[in-house]
Amino acid sequence: MKNKLIQTLLSVGYFLAGMLILIGIWAIISKITKNEVPSPTMTLEVFKEVIKQPFQNDADVKGIGTKLLSSLGRVGIGFTIGSLLAIPLGLMLGSSKIMMNICNPIIQILRPVSPLAWFPLGLAIFKDSPQASIFMIIICCLWPTLINTAFGVSTIPQDHKNVGKAFGFSTFKYVTKIMIPYSLPHIFTGLKLSVGIAWMVIVAGEMLSGGSGLGNFVWEEGFNGGSVAKILVAIVIIGVVGLLLDKAFSALQKKVSFTA
Amino acid sequence: MTQTISQKNQQIADAILEPVLNDDAINITNVTVSFKTPKGIYTAVKDINLQVKKGEIVALIGHSGCGKSTLMGTISGMVAPTQGDVTANGKTVKGPGPDRGIVFQNYSLLPWLTVYKNIYEAVDSTMKNLSAAEKKELVESNLKMVKLWDHKDKLPGQLSGGMKQRVAIARAFAINPKVLLLDEPFGALDALTKSSMHVELLKLWNLDHREKTIVMVTHDIEEAIFLCDRVVVMNNGPAATIKEIVDINLPRPRNKKDIVHDQEYMRIHDRLLNLLIDKFSIED
Repeated sequence: MKNKLIQTLLSVGYFLAGMLILIGIWAIISKITKNEVPSPTMTLEVFKEVIKQPFQNDADVKGIGTKLLSSLGRVGIGFTIGSLLAIPLGLMLGSSKIMMNICNPIIQILRPVSPLAWFPLGLAIFKDSPQASIFMIIICCLWPTLINTAFGVSTIPQDHKNVGKAFGFSTFKYVTKIMIPYSLPHIFTGLKLSVGIAWMVIVAGEMLSGGSGLGNFVWEEGFNGGSVAKILVAIVIIGVVGLLLDKAFSALQKKVSFTA
Repeated sequence: MTQTISQKNQQIADAILEPVLNDDAINITNVTVSFKTPKGIYTAVKDINLQVKKGEIVALIGHSGCGKSTLMGTISGMVAPTQGDVTANGKTVKGPGPDRGIVFQNYSLLPWLTVYKNIYEAVDSTMKNLSAAEKKELVESNLKMVKLWDHKDKLPGQLSGGMKQRVAIARAFAINPKVLLLDEPFGALDALTKSSMHVELLKLWNLDHREKTIVMVTHDIEEAIFLCDRVVVMNNGPAATIKEIVDINLPRPRNKKDIVHDQEYMRIHDRLLNLLIDKFSIED
């Protein structure tokens, strides 16, 4: 019990030390650039201002919270649809060598394509930029989940398969009691990677598409509005939210992991 | 024309009567198993003939890699013979089936399911005509039989090797197979646990009126003598054959402590040792 407390305090300590170093470097850069890059304290002032009315949602003025939620919403929709496509497909590819051999070249060609390249295609298909952003998120969420799920399924140990054979498991029972539980940690690795990429890509997408969202905040209010501090505020928010998403998925992954 | 019909009738009659007339639970006829490897065809076992009677306990014994697990695999249906055929309970073995319960070498419990669920899923898929309540009762009685009812909600990772082994045995018993196949079931256990598991296994076999046929793979001579009616000694592979079948005519119930002083026990022990080991000391 005492050990655990010390452990927690230590990790908090390490985290704070890291943050202090980061802020220190930031302050030095700010000094060198003669406040061209705003100092941490200046940025904090702007941050306080920005979050005064976070959920303001008027036609022409939208709060940072509203923008954050709209970005998260798009990531959520795109990630959900992408995952719902990728998981079953991955289960299929992992369990059939033939399917894998046919689909592997397709995946290898499409996977390295920058998610942003899909944006204009989405725009051409949907004629709507928020929908095009979601389309882009769907595509970029496919690959990590697909590949990790297929890998998980293809590495099911013969021992587990033999249990299914020896006790006459139906296909449904095999899928739900052996295939999916075994692959779940791999699936969650894929999901974690996917959500990380989606979160990176949405900001870029929203810069391209205009409209609402954090990307729009960075571009319109930050760069075009001539406030570098706002850009920094957005970077901090994007980073913190990304970290939280990653932590959440890590926790979920831990939950579905098993000890052999 | 009439002849072909009567021939056909004869075949049908044979097919119906076979399980009744044939007392053998397992019948291995001219079985050869070969595998394709990158270096060519590897023959694991060759021309094996073996009959096991209902209610008999038989051990397959031999050095590592002599193909005893492969031979066992042809009975369980996990390995298809290249030549010859295997019948179990009157039917040709074409794949694994619920009439043959398997206890795997490494327990093979599903690590994400609790002890209870591990057994329940096996019962659920093999005993389709039972009601949910009957299935639950079956799981409960088998878990109590191996004295693990208190641990039913634990995951396999939280159990010791001996406990995992008992879960695997309870799972195999729960589906009430006519034939029980044990692949080095006690290999990973310490001597004390192993010894008590032997007694447990025989207890279960007795409770079942000694009607279950048990085939086990082992390389433990004492274990084979204590448990079995016959011990099948295999030659070294590749293309392993049966070297000799040794009968164990020791009366049951056998007492673990007393049996080792029995003249017959010592004779069999010596015989098996001679069959398995060529050199007994190093040459100076």
